[in-house]
Amino acid sequence: MAVMQNTSEKSKWYLPGIMTGLGITMKHMLKNIFNKKEMITLNYPEEKYEYSPRFKGNHILTVKKDGAIRCTACMLCATNCPADCIKITASEHPDPHVEKYPIAYEIDMLRCVFCGFCEEACPVDAIRLGPEWQTPGLNGANFTYDIKQLAYRPGLKGGVQSVVDDEERLKSGI
Amino acid sequence: MQQQPLINCTINGVALQVKAGSTIIEAMYENQQKIAHYCWHPGLSIAGVCRLCMVQIEGNPRLQIACNTVVTEGMKVNNTSDQVKDAAKWGLDFHLINHPLDCPICDQAGECGLQEQYMEFGKYNSEMSEKKQKKHKVVDLGPTVVLDSERCILCSRCVRFTDEVSKTHELGIFNRGDHAEIGTHAGKPLDNKYSLNTVDICPVGALTSKDFRFRQRVWFLKDSETVCNGCSTGCNVKVYFNKEGVFRVKPKRNDNINGHWMCDEGRDVYKFVNKENRMIKGHKLANGQWETELHAGAAAKDAATSLKGVSGNDIALVVTGQHTVEELEAIVSTFVNTYKTKNVYHWWNSEATASEFDGILLRGDKNPNTKGLQQVFAKHGINTKFSDLDPSKVKHLVVVGPENVPVYKDFTAKLEFFAKAANLIYMTSAKVDTLTTNKSLKSATIIPLKTYIEKSGTFINHAGVSQTFKKVTTVVSEALTVTEAAALLSGQEIKIETLNPKNLFVAANTPADQVTLDYRKKNEFTFQRGKL
Repeated sequence: MAVMQNTSEKSKWYLPGIMTGLGITMKHMLKNIFNKKEMITLNYPEEKYEYSPRFKGNHILTVKKDGAIRCTACMLCATNCPADCIKITASEHPDPHVEKYPIAYEIDMLRCVFCGFCEEACPVDAIRLGPEWQTPGLNGANFTYDIKQLAYRPGLKGGVQSVVDDEERLKSGI
Repeated sequence: MQQQPLINCTINGVALQVKAGSTIIEAMYENQQKIAHYCWHPGLSIAGVCRLCMVQIEGNPRLQIACNTVVTEGMKVNNTSDQVKDAAKWGLDFHLINHPLDCPICDQAGECGLQEQYMEFGKYNSEMSEKKQKKHKVVDLGPTVVLDSERCILCSRCVRFTDEVSKTHELGIFNRGDHAEIGTHAGKPLDNKYSLNTVDICPVGALTSKDFRFRQRVWFLKDSETVCNGCSTGCNVKVYFNKEGVFRVKPKRNDNINGHWMCDEGRDVYKFVNKENRMIKGHKLANGQWETELHAGAAAKDAATSLKGVSGNDIALVVTGQHTVEELEAIVSTFVNTYKTKNVYHWWNSEATASEFDGILLRGDKNPNTKGLQQVFAKHGINTKFSDLDPSKVKHLVVVGPENVPVYKDFTAKLEFFAKAANLIYMTSAKVDTLTTNKSLKSATIIPLKTYIEKSGTFINHAGVSQTFKKVTTVVSEALTVTEAAALLSGQEIKIETLNPKNLFVAANTPADQVTLDYRKKNEFTFQRGKL
């Protein structure tokens, strides 16, 4: 880009422009001092922004009404996953109406690209991407999340309930 | 045999000649024409219950089922018209009235007849306002099979299988109408040596195998064809595997050997192939210490060093009929030519029961290649008896151990017998813990071998039919085939076969250089990547 130099007389009238700019700065400063609640700046990391529930952050495994994990271990999420970061080990459930459930469900968060395909593939609303995303870790931290972390981590307060429940499904004759 | 007369017919506009007396569906099956069907199976009798294989026959006002209509001279058949598709669509809708929506947890999903036909003919909107009929789920039919009656479409293939093939008559259809269910009689579970075939022929997920249940989704598995090494029948099989190992074995049709079926015993044969049951590393015992992290090739070379200059009656070889003809030929000729000995013994676990046959497939000889071994022995003029072998007199004993250890009932006793030799070289694909803990051993080497699915070769079955198969996959990459081990034992090096031996790192078929301008050649990398 070529640099053009403005050498006209008009360009020497710079003071009014500076004053206008300082005025705007002063206005915002006073507004923030006297009305702190409306201030846009956050004191990160003490204050954090709450994202909408639709935000594609860390995964949540939903639970049924009885608190058991909703996932049926159909492995459609693992099939659909472009990053190949989901690993499920299925097993036989003692209840014949549940039949199949995961004894291990692991997501490698470092491989995950947060595309949300697992959520889309899930036929029973068992996996969702939640609003939580600030999950740093120190060296050697475990970024392979298991069922305990995905479904019952403290932030979820006992688990997020799935919209599909086995009992309701059986009652409605599906 | 008298040649059956051929008759002419036209199916979907293609003029065909078929055997007189064959049905339309057989004619279509033989000529690779697609037709929807559930209850018909080429190895079973005709039931005509699924009503899905409807075809239009010229001159016939109504659609007919292809499985129970015999082809007549000049018959013109089609199954591509709208009328046929409509019939299949409505037939399928009736099949799906009580079918549960549990594809996500159904093991058959991915290879299911209902899913396949639904994608092609499905109506997508059910006409039913009533609730689905609830039936029994997870019914334990026997030691190998689990039934889900809700998924069953009552095609009766499994019932006909137990009636016609295994002739054990365990299964039946009980109750009527939409209460009809497959079941067994009280106190008589589905327990025969061919029970898992019912799982194969079940077009839906009603019958599932306990062994394979929930272990893997079928779309994560690759399949490849090979020959079963469970017994001397040599059934043609498909093995299903992925990078974690082999998961199941299913029969592959071969009318000359096994028809459509295989036994349950043969389906367990995959288990010794997987890594947890394998000898992964070479082992060496020297000065009372086991070295356990030896590379297979290094172990074989060490063994060759210990055998240097040995010949005649100081050395003996024991082989089993569990290895391919090529491998046996390699190891036996090494002993005959390099070590100048004919002390080669045939370790045959089931010699006494070898002629047993259950009338369907199972044979008493649990080695796939006993005939092949005998042919190799005959070629080299070896005529020895296993009972003549005395390991304490032979200084160096080389044993090519069996892959399928469970069928060698006296395996542990035989290992102790071999351990009497001053220097034991044991080649095996299976884990042999009893050998590494054996105190009486003085000097020993264990060389890990590959199993039958990891190598190409030939098995000769009980009837002398020679079947060549290709390598399926590699489970233990470091293990050697017997051919490679034999080469190393005879002092040769193993060569890696390359397309272009002069320069390993240049592919033999490099495509011609398409960039002609010199300055572009120099800057091709930047040129293609643009300014970034």
